[in-house]
Amino acid sequence: MQDLEMRHLESPKVGWDYQKATARLTSLVRRGAFFSNYVIAFTIILTLNFVLPRMMPGDPLQAIYGEEALLAMTPQLETELIARLSLDQSMSQQFVAYILALASGDLGHSYYYNQQVLAVILDFLPWTLLLTGTALVISTLLGFVLGIESGYRRGRRLDKTLLAGLMFLNGFPDFFMGIVLLLVFGVVFGMVPLSGALTPYSGLEGFPLVLDILHHLLAPLAALVLVRVTSAYLLTRNTMITTLKENFVLTARAKGCSEGQIKYRHAGRNSLLPVVTATGLMIPHMITGALFVEIVFSYPGVGWLLYNSLLTRDYPLIQGILLMVTLAVLVTNLLVDLLYSKLDPRVSHAR
Amino acid sequence: MLEISDLKVSYDGTEILAGIDLDLLRGDSLAIIGESGAGKTTLGLALMGLLDGRTSGRIHLDGKDVLSLDGKERRKMRGKDMAMVFQNVEDALDPLMTVSDQIEEAISAHREKGGPEDVRDRVRRLFKSVGLEEEKGESYPHQLSGGEKQRVLIAMALANDPQVLILDEPTASLDAVTKAEITKLLRERIREKICLVITHDISTAAKLTEKMAVLYAGRIIEMGETTGLLENPRHPYTRGLIRSSPNMTTTKDLQGIPGRMVHGVAGCPFSDRCTQKIDRCSKEVPQLSDAGDRMIACHRGGIIPLLEISKVKTCFGDFVAVNGVDLTLYEGETIALVGESGSGKTTLAKTVIGLFDQEEGEIRLEGEVLVKRNREFYKKVQMIYQNPKESISHRMNVLDAVTEPLEVQKVGSPAERIAIVKRVLEEVELSSDDAFLKKYPHQISGGEAQRVAIARSLVLNPKLLIADEPTSALDASVQAKILKLLLNLQEKRGLSILFITHDIAIARKVSDRLAVMLKGKIVEEGPASDVTTSPVHPYTMRLLEVAPDLAPTREARETRGGLWGVSEGRPLRAREL
Ligand code: SF4
Repeated sequence: MQDLEMRHLESPKVGWDYQKATARLTSLVRRGAFFSNYVIAFTIILTLNFVLPRMMPGDPLQAIYGEEALLAMTPQLETELIARLSLDQSMSQQFVAYILALASGDLGHSYYYNQQVLAVILDFLPWTLLLTGTALVISTLLGFVLGIESGYRRGRRLDKTLLAGLMFLNGFPDFFMGIVLLLVFGVVFGMVPLSGALTPYSGLEGFPLVLDILHHLLAPLAALVLVRVTSAYLLTRNTMITTLKENFVLTARAKGCSEGQIKYRHAGRNSLLPVVTATGLMIPHMITGALFVEIVFSYPGVGWLLYNSLLTRDYPLIQGILLMVTLAVLVTNLLVDLLYSKLDPRVSHAR
Repeated sequence: MLEISDLKVSYDGTEILAGIDLDLLRGDSLAIIGESGAGKTTLGLALMGLLDGRTSGRIHLDGKDVLSLDGKERRKMRGKDMAMVFQNVEDALDPLMTVSDQIEEAISAHREKGGPEDVRDRVRRLFKSVGLEEEKGESYPHQLSGGEKQRVLIAMALANDPQVLILDEPTASLDAVTKAEITKLLRERIREKICLVITHDISTAAKLTEKMAVLYAGRIIEMGETTGLLENPRHPYTRGLIRSSPNMTTTKDLQGIPGRMVHGVAGCPFSDRCTQKIDRCSKEVPQLSDAGDRMIACHRGGIIPLLEISKVKTCFGDFVAVNGVDLTLYEGETIALVGESGSGKTTLAKTVIGLFDQEEGEIRLEGEVLVKRNREFYKKVQMIYQNPKESISHRMNVLDAVTEPLEVQKVGSPAERIAIVKRVLEEVELSSDDAFLKKYPHQISGGEAQRVAIARSLVLNPKLLIADEPTSALDASVQAKILKLLLNLQEKRGLSILFITHDIAIARKVSDRLAVMLKGKIVEEGPASDVTTSPVHPYTMRLLEVAPDLAPTREARETRGGLWGVSEGRPLRAREL
């Protein structure tokens, strides 16, 4: 009883400000918690990357650089490397050196390319970003739209055809799809180039260059999209079917909303949420998929680079790539999470 | 004007609506009540054109044939000419849109011209009309309370000022206080509209509507003015529905309806649960037809009058014990006959059963005038007394006492009789094992003896039970159980009970109607709740004054300082608790 009176006595303004402040604080704390997950994950990855090669039995230098590299190594280079990695010092000092090196962008030296690992990766990365990025966007959007249309017409012809067709495509592994596309469109019909990301030494510039790049991108992109589109499609379709049964859809229909509004603005938007989450989870698959497809099409991306560095046992390069890939996965996941909270007011506007 | 005729809806061959006819004018508000599964919501959805099932029949709105419209034209009507508010406030709004956007959408869906400013202006006015602050518009549904969401939904339905408004359980998920507010709001907003209130909540229906239709298994079985229909339900199902819904008006204990609603019953949809059905009921579907102040679909014209007493006068020499009594007892109903000893209530009962002859007047049973009481009569009418020894001879054991009526009426073989007896004993919650069957009256308790007496009276499956102070010799806890038992038997068998008592507190709990008897005459009669809350005759008032009362008297309360927190006015009576 007294409590109640106290609250009444407080001027509403003071109460309001206080409330606002607490609200801001809680949202800050929540944000902090949100980001700290990523920070923790990142730290773990860094540490593993440091610890694992050093935990291997034998010479750490051998573990880090690989046997073959050491065979061809001059004693001079060896001492330099040991000094650089602080291998002759205590673990903690090694760790500090490792972190400092990373912070300055030093991922090590690629023995095969005789270049900084980071520089090598950066050479190849744009192509991978182009390929996986577009594949991700296109397969998600396409799967989403097809899923909405299909779920809305559940049991009718379009739905049945789409469902059967996409399930069929989903059965193929990425590389197989790549090989099929390569054979059919590249070898038999000669419609697409057989390898590379652009025509070498063509001296193209401006718009023709863009066209050339797209021409090269087409087949690997199609392979990735065709294999990936199904999961987005299936998820959207299923979510759509459940969402359509929700009361708010009935409300929308009772308002006299048009089919398009019901499909996309109401049912579709609500079905998008799980799809966004799933897309985040799909990124690692996408990357492995890209790896195989890049190999099949000899597409000069990070996947192809990884394959090559495995062949040449370029250990520092392999480690650098893996680190970059995990970092990429983390970052995209973070972006997806941020996007999700933008899309769902229940996350961003807590009561 | 909304005309619905022969509206049928079926899903996968099951008929959910089996021919609905309704005519509604502007300003009409009609409640559609019934249990879940009766087809109430289907009716609303069918009107809105939101059903996937097969719909046939006619729906005309202002002469426009709604069912013949194509999908696009139908969509244009939705939300504009007719709007619906759905049950389940919790997920009836899109969680990803602010509520004012959702209302705006309802307006712009039907707007060809007019800028966004007009729309926003309209939203503002709508918010005001449903009692919501404008700032709430920027909220997302999860930020609002249930009542606020319901207001938003109502605003949305009113957005284009539709002619027909369908409210599906408009208050179901709200707490009592919010419910009252929303009901009030709705009452104001539905004026000048054709409003259909779909609900299983009879009290909401009563507050919102003038007319009421009872839906059972896809058919309207009774329809009339809301007040009349609730006060005096005439279809057995309607009565059952009212009896089973908790409210502050009726005083009788809650009773259910035996069985379960199923669709597709042959003949009358209620026939497998009805306690007064006749052969015709399971063969022919009764049509909704005019029955005075309402429409009823029943082959027997609704609940039948089982016992009609008119102008009965019974004398002992010069003494007039019963002086011109009129009383009608309906099937499945309890009338409590209340009065002090010597008021003539027992004489009246005994006149009915034929122990005394009436001087004047006539008594009808199921419409037939009673001339002599033959064996058939005693199959239909039985009596139990205050003292079970009056009905059970001390020389008979339980088995003999209960079997005797069967023997007299020559029912069944000896083995069948024992089976019947055992069943009835179980029905009155007694043991049916051999040890108990062999017991003599002095070996069992008073409560058990009265149950045996009840079993004996029920063994012939009578339609009418006259109970003369059946519990006044028993302890309160036993009495409560016996009264419950009688109500249960009534629920199950549709037994009519003439309950004679001097105790108005008991009468109020067990009876639908109450008749107060004084000096051979009935001085006041009416629904038990009316008679006990607003008595008219001074004698009734007197009876109520002296009725058992759990609250202390006024003086006692004043000295103790307000036990109930009521410092002035009358003491709280048991019946008000
Ligand atoms: S008496 Fe017949 S028609 Fe009337 S409700 Fe009962 S079963 Fe239906």
